[in-house]
Amino acid sequence: MSGAGTGRPKAAYRAIAHLDLDAFYASVEENLDPSLREKPVIVGGGERGVVSTANYIARRYGVHSAMPMRTARRLCPQAVVLPGNHRLYAVYSRRFKAILEEYSPLVEKVSIDEAYIDLTGTEGLFGPVTRTCRAIQRRVRDELDLGISVGLATNKLVAKVASDFQKPAGFTVVRPGEEAAFLAPLPVEHLPGVGPSLLAQLRDRGVVTVGDLARIPENLLRLSFGEVGEVLARRARGEDPRQVTPRELMKSISRETTFDEDTTDTALLESTLLHLTEDVCRRLRRQKLEARTVTVKIRYSDFVTHTRSHTLRRPLDVDEAFFKEVLQLFRTARERRYRIRLLGVGLSNLVPRSWQDDLFDQQLPLLRDLDLKLDAIREKYGRNAIRRGAAEKE
Amino acid sequence: MRIAAEKTDLVESLTIANKAVSSRSSIQVLSGILLEAKTEGITLTATDMEISIRTPLRGRVEETGAVVLPARIVTDIAKNLASREVVIEQRMGENQMEVRSGESFFMLHSLSPADFPQLPVFPLDEGFSVEKSAFLETVDRVASSASRDETRPVLTGVLAHVTQNTVKMVATDSYRLSVMETPIEATVADKVQAIIPARSLTELSRIGAAGPADVIIIVPTENQVLFEVGGVWLISRLIDGQFPNYRQLLPESFDYEVTVDKTEFLEVVRRVGLLAQKNAPLRLRFSDNTLTVSAESQDVGKARESIPVRYEGDDLEIGFNPEFLEAGAAAVAGPTVHLKFISPLRPGLIKGEEDDFLYLIMPIRLSD
Repeated sequence: MSGAGTGRPKAAYRAIAHLDLDAFYASVEENLDPSLREKPVIVGGGERGVVSTANYIARRYGVHSAMPMRTARRLCPQAVVLPGNHRLYAVYSRRFKAILEEYSPLVEKVSIDEAYIDLTGTEGLFGPVTRTCRAIQRRVRDELDLGISVGLATNKLVAKVASDFQKPAGFTVVRPGEEAAFLAPLPVEHLPGVGPSLLAQLRDRGVVTVGDLARIPENLLRLSFGEVGEVLARRARGEDPRQVTPRELMKSISRETTFDEDTTDTALLESTLLHLTEDVCRRLRRQKLEARTVTVKIRYSDFVTHTRSHTLRRPLDVDEAFFKEVLQLFRTARERRYRIRLLGVGLSNLVPRSWQDDLFDQQLPLLRDLDLKLDAIREKYGRNAIRRGAAEKE
Repeated sequence: MRIAAEKTDLVESLTIANKAVSSRSSIQVLSGILLEAKTEGITLTATDMEISIRTPLRGRVEETGAVVLPARIVTDIAKNLASREVVIEQRMGENQMEVRSGESFFMLHSLSPADFPQLPVFPLDEGFSVEKSAFLETVDRVASSASRDETRPVLTGVLAHVTQNTVKMVATDSYRLSVMETPIEATVADKVQAIIPARSLTELSRIGAAGPADVIIIVPTENQVLFEVGGVWLISRLIDGQFPNYRQLLPESFDYEVTVDKTEFLEVVRRVGLLAQKNAPLRLRFSDNTLTVSAESQDVGKARESIPVRYEGDDLEIGFNPEFLEAGAAAVAGPTVHLKFISPLRPGLIKGEEDDFLYLIMPIRLSD
């Protein structure tokens, strides 16, 4: 998903906040019945018999979310156990999101009780970003009677870690340039994406803190963990290019590449297109989506830019299905003899994948099988580990 | 124009004609039914330009003439009348008509018969007849596989092939394909083949199922076909184009074969299929003389049920759209269903023992 054209402000640093409602379900219950505030409260049970949320009093007894209900009751027999009122929680969650949307159009709700907001460029309207975050925290407390922890940083990763830093009612700001220093002393498992199995492997290598991880050369991490290693290295340095994407905006997947030198070499141009197509299709499959429309973008050396699209009869997620279309679009769209500066391939008209295949195209499931195997290899050994003979390496 | 008819006869004929009334046409007269009263009898005619239906109405012609009835309101009135006899009258030169029955009186705006499209003329003596029961059974078991996607017109049709002693029909929406060949007595000279809209055949089947007639008369022309059954005419356009070569889709051999009890299999598929919502596949797992059917829908839950089957050999797990699977098994005649597979990525075949029916179905890839 390219940032161009989405109207994002250009700024030296982004200002992204992660906002996390404290003990959300339990706090809503306390609003309904204020006498609960003095007592340990556990919301949960139901079909799976686990704790959804415990208030901070219950947490002192060692109760935490996802714990089996039976264990929770043993740890804290005097707790008030409530089955949960999910319709009411959804109402609160919507009001929470509505408050955020007053401050920026770029609000990404991650779950019922947490969201990212991109406040880059809002200073002109609302004053310093830190003050805006304080205002949001105050309004959530006053208007919804809920506690909230805020992390403000230059990207999603650091904002998320920051919001978790001083819960409940936390307020942590990580200034531009201080990301790596902020993360360095934290246990490495505080990095999102470091789960139990990865943690065990890191511990084997003597990694305890995020700082330890940041000191390992990136190429060694890539050797050990493939593409995950690259991501890990970036995260340890506090870098995260992900954008705050409102869910409904996930409408296209695209990639483009600018040549080192403008070119008219058709073989190079076409193999680059195949490579870009492979890449967007792989991201399409990773998102468990299928696409109906494919777009090719050509920018010539004089910056004149043409795009051309084709819509398939039905949505697909197979590289091979798009190769032919992309080449054909390119050949019809390339009307000028100028050298080409940039090529792009985009997929849109996205729908959740169905994988219902077609009797008239019985090759397709076999080709998809190949794609998925290639995806698995790339996941492990990196994006350029394997590619089709005709597809140009970047 | 004035006619008198029994309420039940009127309701029956209106119900038949209504199947061709256009529900969303911009041509107003097509939302009506043409009633023609001639000395030889009364007929009702409706058309949506794809299908036209002409049905006789039993009754008494007291004064000849014609009127276009507003279809929906007249049908609703007829169904709700209290008395047995109904009189419909339009006085000369008026554009309103009356419906009278017992103490009830309705005055309705009518449309002009002059605006109603003429039905095409068919060379009735060039037609041939087929056995009704065999023809309609073939329709019923095949037509539901046709596509509803108007962007591929050919697939919204059924390929029908009639010779003197067989009728063969093929339909596919590209996800599944039904083929059935049935012995039949037909007075056709040589052989006839056409792509007929599935909807036309389905309506024909509904009309034909009700009446006592034994034969259907078929009059094909270059781009239309007329069916006559029990005095009712159904005229349909034919679909122009090349029906896909379905024979090359049928695999020559299969590696896995299982026989299941049809009733038991259908019940399990319906039960477990309740948990295959929002495009989720139904999983069939064959292992160790057991077929396990399972499904899982995000945010809803999951289900599983096993049936003992005679199955030896390598394990196989394959996913299908539950509706397609159910439709295929339900269309098989007889008490058992044969399931044949090659691999989870290749089409599967469903067939029975008792007749020449095949159902080819493309699987859904499973995610692990």
